[in-house]
Amino acid sequence: MACKVNESCTYKEGPLPSCAPLAVGTIPVQTSAEPVYNREEALEKGTLFPGLDLPFMDYVATGMMESGPKAELMALDFVAHELALYLDTHPDDAEAFETWKSFTALAEEGRRRYVDLYGPVTKGDTAQFDSWKWACCPWPWEYTKNGGNG
Amino acid sequence: MFVYEKKLQYPVRIQNPNPALAKFIISQYGGPDGELGASIRYLSQRYSMPYPELRAILTDIGTEELGHLEMVGTILHQLTRNMSVEDVKAAGLEAYFVDHTAGVYAQAASGFPYSAASFAVKGDVIADLTEDMGAEQKARVTYDNILRMSDDPDVIDVIRFLREREVVHFQRFGEPLQPA
Repeated sequence: MACKVNESCTYKEGPLPSCAPLAVGTIPVQTSAEPVYNREEALEKGTLFPGLDLPFMDYVATGMMESGPKAELMALDFVAHELALYLDTHPDDAEAFETWKSFTALAEEGRRRYVDLYGPVTKGDTAQFDSWKWACCPWPWEYTKNGGNG
Repeated sequence: MFVYEKKLQYPVRIQNPNPALAKFIISQYGGPDGELGASIRYLSQRYSMPYPELRAILTDIGTEELGHLEMVGTILHQLTRNMSVEDVKAAGLEAYFVDHTAGVYAQAASGFPYSAASFAVKGDVIADLTEDMGAEQKARVTYDNILRMSDDPDVIDVIRFLREREVVHFQRFGEPLQPA
């Protein structure tokens, strides 16, 4: 019996062979890195991909995400990371690779803006300051009334 | 090697300390399905993983889980900041406090210290990926249960984010298990 792959899947579905070997756990492969949420929505929802956005009951994003250079950097880094995980399992998706490259470049710019305003993200960033700012405050787990750096 | 980034993956800002919530959220720090176990499980499975793409996905998800460990630690720290002894007693946190004060220690909600028995490395591609899919589902349910028992919007927002990451990771661990 010949196996057929269903090619007409929506973004919430993925193709599975119509027949497959027994005793192998198989889940559908995401068909494409489109459609996507915008970067702020992606960070808030916890995924770039609407097809994978499966919240528990009515615990959904509130749209009340803080803004500023820190939130901007987090959003850019998040999208780049989410695309990297997608590329790990879809290494031949050239379009997704181009998108990842552009987000990685944007994230680098975002990091420079953030570091100029608030201090180093990596130890290497500290070289642009005139003293050992790395050890200075706040560390990411510290509670700050206004949300801290940006 | 690893390079530390001095920021969280997602903002954590718990306005109202509440040690009672920390009592069970701690399971995602050092419990059987928590972020410590997840990160070490995936990073350790890499050595015997036969395919380069799978070494990549284990490295990238394992690294993200280290970031989630830091986020859960941040929630615990902020929920227990500035505690008085009265706060400790009111929250029923005496047993933890006497051993760890307001430090963040890797243990399950039951008080059982982090056990390496909870991270599985079988050294077989099918067994390990199937294990990882199960691990993501178990962590997802733990976050469901934390959401059921939490009433603080600042806590709920972060837990909701961490839970969604389990859904994405489940998908990524499953995708390589395709029939040839």
